[in-house]
Amino acid sequence: MKLQAGSPSPRRESLAFLGRFGVLLVLFYVGIALRPVNDAVVVPFTAAIARVSGAILNALGEPAAVAGTDIRSPAFAVQIENGCNGLETVLLFAAAVLSFPSPWKRRLAGLVLGFAAIELVNLVRVVSLFWIGVHRPALFSASHTVLWQSLVVLFGVLLFLSWAARARPAGLAAAEPRP
Amino acid sequence: MTHRRGLGRAAVLRALAGFALALAFWFGFRAPYERLLASAAEAVLRATEQPAVTRLGVGDGEILVERADLPPGSPRPGLPAADLHFNLVLLAALFALDPHPLDGRRVGALLLGCLVLFAMHIAALVFQVRSVYAASLGPWSAEHYGAAARNFWTGGFHFYEVAGRFAAPFAIWWWLRREDEGRVGGSRSRNRR
Repeated sequence: MKLQAGSPSPRRESLAFLGRFGVLLVLFYVGIALRPVNDAVVVPFTAAIARVSGAILNALGEPAAVAGTDIRSPAFAVQIENGCNGLETVLLFAAAVLSFPSPWKRRLAGLVLGFAAIELVNLVRVVSLFWIGVHRPALFSASHTVLWQSLVVLFGVLLFLSWAARARPAGLAAAEPRP
Repeated sequence: MTHRRGLGRAAVLRALAGFALALAFWFGFRAPYERLLASAAEAVLRATEQPAVTRLGVGDGEILVERADLPPGSPRPGLPAADLHFNLVLLAALFALDPHPLDGRRVGALLLGCLVLFAMHIAALVFQVRSVYAASLGPWSAEHYGAAARNFWTGGFHFYEVAGRFAAPFAIWWWLRREDEGRVGGSRSRNRR
């Protein structure tokens, strides 16, 4: 691998990426942790996820009623909380995309497409967890805490790596992810 | 040097296989890991409190908080343990992304990453216990913790819950693989000379 003259070393660039990533993560966290933002954005967004999940469950023949962020059926009920709305993975993905050296147009495209893809996978997660809660309740806890949370985050990281491998300008190859 | 555009299918398959293996390993070893974690966090808590009264136990997937000065018969807080440390699975899956995950150097990097994550788990558990002390014990909390301390401990743990526990494995993996790539690149350059 050849570095361009004047370009920072991979190690330095990597450290700079992690620094930007950490700062953005803290800023995003503070943003969504503020009560007005939580009440005006996060809770309505979570309720929308509950409504879409309820509609999908009903379409799949699994009766479910939605009230606010709750999804209920005669056999099982679940409340979609902050950890279940996919926003943690979106924060991680957004902080990584915005920290990565790439043209702004590509970053914005990555943010929009990544947000949509992560929330789509999160919908699959919510619907499948509800189904597990109804039909295999013994598996719900492990599926909820460990399996699906990790899979959604892993999906977000793979999505970022895939985007980063395409988004980096050709002249700046030093920090291109090459898994 | 040729650059493949995008993430290879083989890398994704390796990550999923690593995820499955790590998950099985995690289920098998979570109980002893939780005992180790509770002991380490207890040592930190007792070293930083006056008098040293905290005892941490493990039971049924929870870290049980015991204080010698709590009234007998009062409920003891139980903290969900898996939430703290299941990100070990994510770390292993990320290391499996690399082209030669079983190479000695990569395994060494993974072990180092696990060690760093273990230190983060200790810190997270200390923050969690302190946030319980600061905010969940009613009048006792109000008497012993001011507003700034309450915000520090509860905010610190909430940050770990929302962002830190997912970001930590990614940041550790990113840093350690960069370190390793730098070393590999350096040795190859010397060989060519």
